[in-house]
Amino acid sequence: MGFIVGVDIGGTFTDCVALRTAPDGAATEIHIGKALSTPPDFQTGFIAALEAAAGMHGIGLDAMLADAHVYHGCTVGTNALVEHRTARVGLLATRGHADATFIMRAGGRLKWMPAEYIAHVAKQTKPAPLVPKSLCREIDERVTFDGNALVKLNEAAARVAIAELIAEGVEAIAVSLIWSTANPAHELRLRAIIAEMAPELFVSISSEVSPRVGEYERTVATIINAMIGPPMTAYLGQLEVDLVRHGYTRGLQIMSCTGGLIDAGHARSLPVLTIGSGPVAGLIGAAGLATAAAAPGGNRNVVTADIGGTTLDIGTIFDGTPVRRPTASHGQFEYFVPTLDVRSVGSGGGSIIRTDGEVIKVGPRSAGARPGPVCFGRGGTEPTVTDAAAVLGYLDPDYFFGGRIKLDVSAASEALGRVGAPLGFDARQTAAAALRIVDSQMGDAIWLTVTQQGYDVRDFALYGFGGAGGLHSAGIAKSLGMRQCVVPLSNLAAGWSAFGICASDALVTESAAVGMASPFPPEPISDRWRHLEAQVRERLTAQGVAAEAVEFQHFAELRYSLQINQVLVSVEGGDYDAAAVGRMVAAFEAEYERLFGKGAGYADAGFQLTALHVHGRANLSDVDMGHIVQGHSGATAAKGRRDVIWYERGPKPHPTPVFDGPALVAGSATPGPAILEFPDTTIVVPFGGTARIHVTGSVVIDLGEEA
Amino acid sequence: MSDSDILPAEDRAWTGRTQSYRPRSDWRQRVAPELAFHRDTADALDPTDYEVIRQKLWTINIAHGETITRISGSPVLATLDFNMSILTEDAEVVLNAPYVQFLNAGAPLGIRYILENYSGQPGIDDGDVYCCNDPWIAACHQMDVLFACPVFVDGQLFAWVANAGHQYDLGGIVPGGWPQNAEDVYSDPVVLPPFKLIEKGEMRKDLEALYLRQSRLPDMVALDLRAQIAGVVFAREQLLALCKRFGAPTVKAAMRKMLDEAQNSFAKKLLAIPDGVWSETRYIDEALPGDRRAQRTQLTITKTGDRIRVENAGTDAQTPGTNGIPFTSWSGSITGIISVAMLYEQLFAYGGSERQIDYAPTPGLLTCVNHPTATSGGILQTVPMMNAVQAILSRMMACDPDQKADLVAPCGDFVLPVLVGYDDRGNYFGQAILDSFAAGSGARSFGDGVNASGPTYSPLSMILNVELIEQWYPILYLHRKDDTDSGGAGKWRGGTGLRSAITPYRAKGPISIVTNSGGQSITTMNGPGLFGGYPSPAGHYTILRDTDLTAWMEDSRLPSALAEIASAETLNLRAKSNGTDLNLGDIFEVRIGGGGGYGDPLERDPSLVAQDVYLGAVSADAAHRIYGVILDGNAADAAATEARRATLRADKAGWTPVGAGTTDRTPATGGDDVMVHEYIVATDRDGERILACSHCGHRYCGYAGAYKDGALVRDDPVTSIPSSPDPHLFMDEPMVLRRYCCPGCHVQVSTEIAREGESPFPEMRLTAH
Repeated sequence: MGFIVGVDIGGTFTDCVALRTAPDGAATEIHIGKALSTPPDFQTGFIAALEAAAGMHGIGLDAMLADAHVYHGCTVGTNALVEHRTARVGLLATRGHADATFIMRAGGRLKWMPAEYIAHVAKQTKPAPLVPKSLCREIDERVTFDGNALVKLNEAAARVAIAELIAEGVEAIAVSLIWSTANPAHELRLRAIIAEMAPELFVSISSEVSPRVGEYERTVATIINAMIGPPMTAYLGQLEVDLVRHGYTRGLQIMSCTGGLIDAGHARSLPVLTIGSGPVAGLIGAAGLATAAAAPGGNRNVVTADIGGTTLDIGTIFDGTPVRRPTASHGQFEYFVPTLDVRSVGSGGGSIIRTDGEVIKVGPRSAGARPGPVCFGRGGTEPTVTDAAAVLGYLDPDYFFGGRIKLDVSAASEALGRVGAPLGFDARQTAAAALRIVDSQMGDAIWLTVTQQGYDVRDFALYGFGGAGGLHSAGIAKSLGMRQCVVPLSNLAAGWSAFGICASDALVTESAAVGMASPFPPEPISDRWRHLEAQVRERLTAQGVAAEAVEFQHFAELRYSLQINQVLVSVEGGDYDAAAVGRMVAAFEAEYERLFGKGAGYADAGFQLTALHVHGRANLSDVDMGHIVQGHSGATAAKGRRDVIWYERGPKPHPTPVFDGPALVAGSATPGPAILEFPDTTIVVPFGGTARIHVTGSVVIDLGEEA
Repeated sequence: MSDSDILPAEDRAWTGRTQSYRPRSDWRQRVAPELAFHRDTADALDPTDYEVIRQKLWTINIAHGETITRISGSPVLATLDFNMSILTEDAEVVLNAPYVQFLNAGAPLGIRYILENYSGQPGIDDGDVYCCNDPWIAACHQMDVLFACPVFVDGQLFAWVANAGHQYDLGGIVPGGWPQNAEDVYSDPVVLPPFKLIEKGEMRKDLEALYLRQSRLPDMVALDLRAQIAGVVFAREQLLALCKRFGAPTVKAAMRKMLDEAQNSFAKKLLAIPDGVWSETRYIDEALPGDRRAQRTQLTITKTGDRIRVENAGTDAQTPGTNGIPFTSWSGSITGIISVAMLYEQLFAYGGSERQIDYAPTPGLLTCVNHPTATSGGILQTVPMMNAVQAILSRMMACDPDQKADLVAPCGDFVLPVLVGYDDRGNYFGQAILDSFAAGSGARSFGDGVNASGPTYSPLSMILNVELIEQWYPILYLHRKDDTDSGGAGKWRGGTGLRSAITPYRAKGPISIVTNSGGQSITTMNGPGLFGGYPSPAGHYTILRDTDLTAWMEDSRLPSALAEIASAETLNLRAKSNGTDLNLGDIFEVRIGGGGGYGDPLERDPSLVAQDVYLGAVSADAAHRIYGVILDGNAADAAATEARRATLRADKAGWTPVGAGTTDRTPATGGDDVMVHEYIVATDRDGERILACSHCGHRYCGYAGAYKDGALVRDDPVTSIPSSPDPHLFMDEPMVLRRYCCPGCHVQVSTEIAREGESPFPEMRLTAH
């Protein structure tokens, strides 16, 4: 008997999901432990959450850790960035190009910003630079697109520049040279020189952090990696000491935004991979469930909506595989990182409801955790989506968060009434309008995401999780014409990221930027595969994976020579010959056509191969999500009724049955309207919908046509 | 001889034949009766329905743009050189997308033209898509091709969706579509009045072939064609889905409400501004390459109550060459800036504002050219026109404390070098360096402009990574960097622009450089300054011939600036030029402009100036000469700075009085004091309403006078602007920098780039009631 322990640190709570496993790997029992997060020493809250989970299993922490695998979604890097507690970083860039991170590709910096910001040019600005000009140094050297070291590295001048940065007191150095992806020699040499001059400095070089063509996004990735390297190293070091003290003997595994677990050493050198790993873990958990033998709902196409207090994180799973993207954003800074495509928009339970005198508006401003919604009674005065949900009757004021927070509905009502007054709306009308608008906003964001990825949202099921996932999922799904939504593992939905961490494999990705024009010679491709596979194997071995357990996946990125869209396709590995090259091109053309339409590619101009990637994956545990069975007490009758306003049905309250979620039997079906209450999750089943309890405890809502 | 003497009456009308097409008030009467309009509008619109539909229309527009970039895969469209719109059945713009704001301004014009002229034959049917690039009907220039698609509900015309996007090539005498040596439109890319390319869902093969035949790159244009068509079809389907969900009358009611809201918001903002006449004068250079003269443009906005009237009188008549823009671009430059400056709350739903605008252009002038003037290369003159609109609106907005926070001085103009040649693998290329999409933005009333922000009129426009460009074209970027002194000086500084320098790498033979520029961006200025702020200096196209770059490189060194490089010759290319060779060992640098400054530079916080010098945004010379700041290391020396500034102010006592001042008197109104300029207040004094200095109380003039008449003025060479090139390299015009200050306290109140000796530019005349 052992444990798989997933820990996810959030802004307020640290969640720990502990799976007890049988000798055959099957999960036998699952519990969530929660503890308050303890910034800046997050390891304290980490250990406390572990203790809480062990307690739920009825054992002590040391007993649990004696035979456990501990997997960790680590937000230390993210928090350090957001709170400006990062290392002082110096930048070494090719002469003439240090300003790329100040220029920020001009309007390109606004690409992922909200509409209101894009439109209001008088209020636009650029963020404070990641590395101030005083800590940027330009290096005499130049590599060209074809890998030619046109200007040799001027080591003497470089040493002067490095010495200046050391004298400035930098704690880390980022090295990002033009075309280092084509020839990393100068970056490697600079790293060696820094190691010689200041061995204690954290160094990140762009050809390792982010080997992709495009100096701006690569440099930002390299700088962010350097900024969070020292705090990450300090944190993981302390955490490992604490775990060992409690008898933990295995290596600590860290969740990465790539979609799998990496070992702590890997995370120390590439901490940028940990940013955004929490939402990615949620997506991985959903993919694990959707591909399980007995998946709830049975649809392998899934859109995930992780709805928290301030943001909605959207992910997409197509035929069981999460969709990826090549960049992520830190505010207006966009950077390369091989991540699952999770997009955040500013809609959540804390989104503030207001009016411009003509219509109700919701968000993008949020009351956040502090002061929070009015009904929390922590000083919030502006009504939020959570306040609206309380006023409409979706939330039980005495059973919110398992009764740990008592909701002040009359204060929420008063605040909503105040906002709606100029429109002649009372509190309930205001709340109904706000809920409908926020569901619709969330739906639009999902629709845009899925449409931009080249899919039709109606072919997908919606998985809703996070604190408010159960509340909004059905409304969102209906507005998008989706037929089904799922609240995965019901009560675990509120700690879904921690659960996703437990469900993750070890995953290491290595990439090489290439610049080849067709016809592609096979030999260099074979050479790259061998090299990348060796790198992947080395990393996974260090992670404790047996060499023969590694499954490789090979990906190539291509584009048509005269067109800009780069498309990532899954291809075969091994030794390439002309036929294999042909199959690679054919796979690209097929995927291009799927994404962009028939005839959208201009093949006469030829093809460009821009990057090769190898993913190495290994199971760290054999947990099958489909076999996680949650207990129930066997009751099926409603525990009561309360008045709920359904915004699609006007302002009149409907007496609505309320069910005790944990009591519901697998296989039972509950017709809407209904409210299913779990300690940490409230699930809303609208008119016309039917909620079925899946064997995993997930709630599957089929959205029939409304009568 | 004027047009009215030689043209038949029909051509003197706004029919699109000689003069641009402008729908007359009775245009609807010429729509074929068999075309039924879907006008059902829900009587009551639930505010929540409204908000949901409004959001969805925004999302449809964004996804429409995304569809085009994805499907075309074009590097041109990837820089978002397009825009898309959703329009009512009778072609009022409900919503634009957030891309190049003027670019689809022709959609309402082109669609009304189609309704008026073609609704009977060949007809407008469900499934049709019309295509047009005629600048006298619907295009800003021939390269921005319009696709317009009617949306039918129950057999009735419910709405239109449209996009316009930039093509690789559509013929003409110079590849790429900006022929600067086009004497008239017959040297330009082909002109295509509206034609029905798709009939009831089927592409007309003959018309597609005819269209593609015009291009040097027909296969690439074919991809863009399909992408743009896919875009409008996508938008149509989404709009129909919305109608299915909410009912067409409800969607229509929401569309009407968006128009009404834009109209009401615009009207309300206008009402908060005093009535008056504002004007901006801008010179533009060389009608044809080599011409050493400049041409004058003037834009005047008369604001009365909640309406504005816009005129171009005072602009030079059209001439052979490429300085002209058609009505489409002129009106689009006005609504494009209104959209981002005054209607940002509407998120690009600007259409209703047009109901409050009376366009009163004089046809045949450079800013409203008649057929057959060349127009394709003139598109770059749309940017100085937008900057003129921005300067005027900013001055108007400064009269209302609420709107003052939203004003922005104009950004840098557009400079567009095109590189043509072969790489050493034998591939032909012809591509513009679009680094002007990182021009600096103008200063604001509360802060500096944004360095390398990108254009105000196209917030999302971006530049490509150097590595991406080097992957495609046989060049090597020596630098792309922030540019010292490129932002206009002022109490708030304009955002800085860029310098980008390239040298050939793996090119076969020389690379030919073609230059295209707007305004006077290579001779005198980029963005105008506001309220005594300086204009940003002109940019440049500089070639260093036969440099010692190879020796530097062999020695493991690289230059940081052109000045460090030894060369046999320095060539400064003109604003317009048609092919200068760049050989191995040569270096080409383009300088991209910053934005205009705001307010008197002597009022700038000295510590900000010191920081600018430290960060390289401002030179020590400019700090001393323009800002009057004496540096002590990295900080400002407070006492020395105060002394220096006192000297600079005292020097202004010697400036020349503009005139004796007007004798016009406006009786006192008893009204409150109103700020009508950063430094000028409208106030009652001695029974009279006057314009007075808000610092010292000096009376400039009566309320309805021109305040400059009561100011001191001084002309200086344009080169007195820090880092300005010498305009006389390129032109024979006696252009000067003219500054005005208060005779009492010497605060600098206005700057302008004018011909020596000409009257002060009209700027603001308030209307006495």
